[in-house]
Amino acid sequence: MRAYISVFRMRIKMELQYRGAMIGGIVCQMFFGIVLVALYHALYESKAQAMPIEQVSTYVWLQQAFFRMMVATDPDLNDKIKNGSISYDLCRPVNMYTFYYIRVAAQKLMGSLMRGIPMIIVTFLLPKGWGITLPASGGGLFCGLIALFLGLLCMCALENITMAFTMRTLDSRGMQSLLNLLMVTLSGNLLPLTLFPDSWQKVITMLPYAQLLDAPIRLYSGEYLISEAPLILLRQAGWALILILIGVWFWEQNRKKMIIQGG
Amino acid sequence: MSYIEVNNLRKTFTVRKKREKGKLFREKEIVEALQGISFVVEKGELVGYIGPNGAGKSTTVKILSGILTPESGEAKVGGMVPWKERKEYVKHIGVVFGQRSQLWWDVPILDSYSLLKDIYRISEKDYKGRLNELVEALQLEKLLRTPLRLLSLGQRMRAELCGSLLHRPELLFLDEPTIGLDAVSKLSLRDFLKWENKEHGTTIMLTTHDMEDIAELCSRVMVLGHGQKLFDGKLKDLLEKYDTVRNVTVKYDVEPICFGDDYEPNFPRGVKVTRKNGELRLTYSPNEIPTADMLAFLQSAGTINEMTLESENIDHLIAAMYKEMDL
Repeated sequence: MRAYISVFRMRIKMELQYRGAMIGGIVCQMFFGIVLVALYHALYESKAQAMPIEQVSTYVWLQQAFFRMMVATDPDLNDKIKNGSISYDLCRPVNMYTFYYIRVAAQKLMGSLMRGIPMIIVTFLLPKGWGITLPASGGGLFCGLIALFLGLLCMCALENITMAFTMRTLDSRGMQSLLNLLMVTLSGNLLPLTLFPDSWQKVITMLPYAQLLDAPIRLYSGEYLISEAPLILLRQAGWALILILIGVWFWEQNRKKMIIQGG
Repeated sequence: MSYIEVNNLRKTFTVRKKREKGKLFREKEIVEALQGISFVVEKGELVGYIGPNGAGKSTTVKILSGILTPESGEAKVGGMVPWKERKEYVKHIGVVFGQRSQLWWDVPILDSYSLLKDIYRISEKDYKGRLNELVEALQLEKLLRTPLRLLSLGQRMRAELCGSLLHRPELLFLDEPTIGLDAVSKLSLRDFLKWENKEHGTTIMLTTHDMEDIAELCSRVMVLGHGQKLFDGKLKDLLEKYDTVRNVTVKYDVEPICFGDDYEPNFPRGVKVTRKNGELRLTYSPNEIPTADMLAFLQSAGTINEMTLESENIDHLIAAMYKEMDL
């Protein structure tokens, strides 16, 4: 246990070093946010949708603020897989899956807080309909935060599944881009899931990708009622468990087959 | 029972090759990295493990450190089977792979050490004592707060060694630890390994291509080639067999006329002669011509200005040995 706490602390400390990347990330995400919100304003000018523009704008900004949580991947692990230094990790008396799960959790958490908090503060100050609105209720905010945590658990589990593919192919690009495309689309980052046709939404919201940020945002904005929250949180927890089990199994298979090449 | 017991260890790898033109499938090649290796190592020994590239040295180290599972054969280290009881086993060993890194790239090495402390559950008191000892022996004081990425290769190797020894392993595997190091770093690394072995009785298994490492450190050497063990014993005994050549460089005040224009016919049979910058370089085998006779012959020919006698460079000996063993 001590080892896992220690790696969590250290990864957070390390993430704090990357302040330049943080500024770059904020600028990039702000740009995307503004473009997307402007796009929806143009759309709403011609034909107003069922969902109010304030809610769409809040949805877009929260997706952008926590973008890092969704897509951040551990570059060190990618390198280690490629150059074989992962052999060192096999000589440690710790569970490798847990070790890297914790590591990437710290990275995603710290990385997204560093970018998300300043962005949320700034977007609060934007004019109505362009920025973020306050949460629907205190309860909604509370449930949203719990949902965000469960979403983080799902994101780390998904990340480790992607890594399991990388261990097979030795290159992170192929599978990662494919899975990222699925994630960006089905998580609501590209187009808010709330704007999908209702019949589609019934399916999409059940998928693991909707558990990442869509569920927390809808709880925050009141799209999901507090009375629905237990069911939503349960669904998230269920997916987190399933994704973790798949990852653990996959890593164990990889470990048995792993060959470290070269001297 | 010995500390390390390895019996008939086998490991094969499948290498997939690029598809040849006109063929439907890629070819697979089965490479037998280890073809039944057996040896024992006692506690506190310092064993060198040599062989040409691709002989199976690293494979052995990886199997014995629990990373790879062999096809067949047995191995026990301190009563444990490395690949079966991996998690328990690895607490007792330390590993340094010369070409890879275990410390975190972007953080000060001290932070990496404190993570290792938690991974191996070293008590605070034990950790402090051991760290101080290692930091002093490896001269790391000034580097502790520097991120790994800013260290030179030699500094990094010292830092890696410290990381591998914090938990006081009984057994240390070193896979080419001196690769790319300068002379000073090499010497200090060797001194440190000797010290660690003597002071703490740590069993050390070392693979290397640097014969000086072996000559300096290892009382015992194993030679591996084509996945088989070819020699196991003292380095001296190994070299004696191949140490069959002497080189003499001699310079005369005035070059003796009796050597003629083409030298070799006028020398004892079997001597090779080359001439460069007024110096004669002779290569002969002491088994055929005793060195005393050779020197007497040279002295009788004229007044010697300068002369050196040397045995073949250790690398040449090993190369000759590999050649004879058809490696």
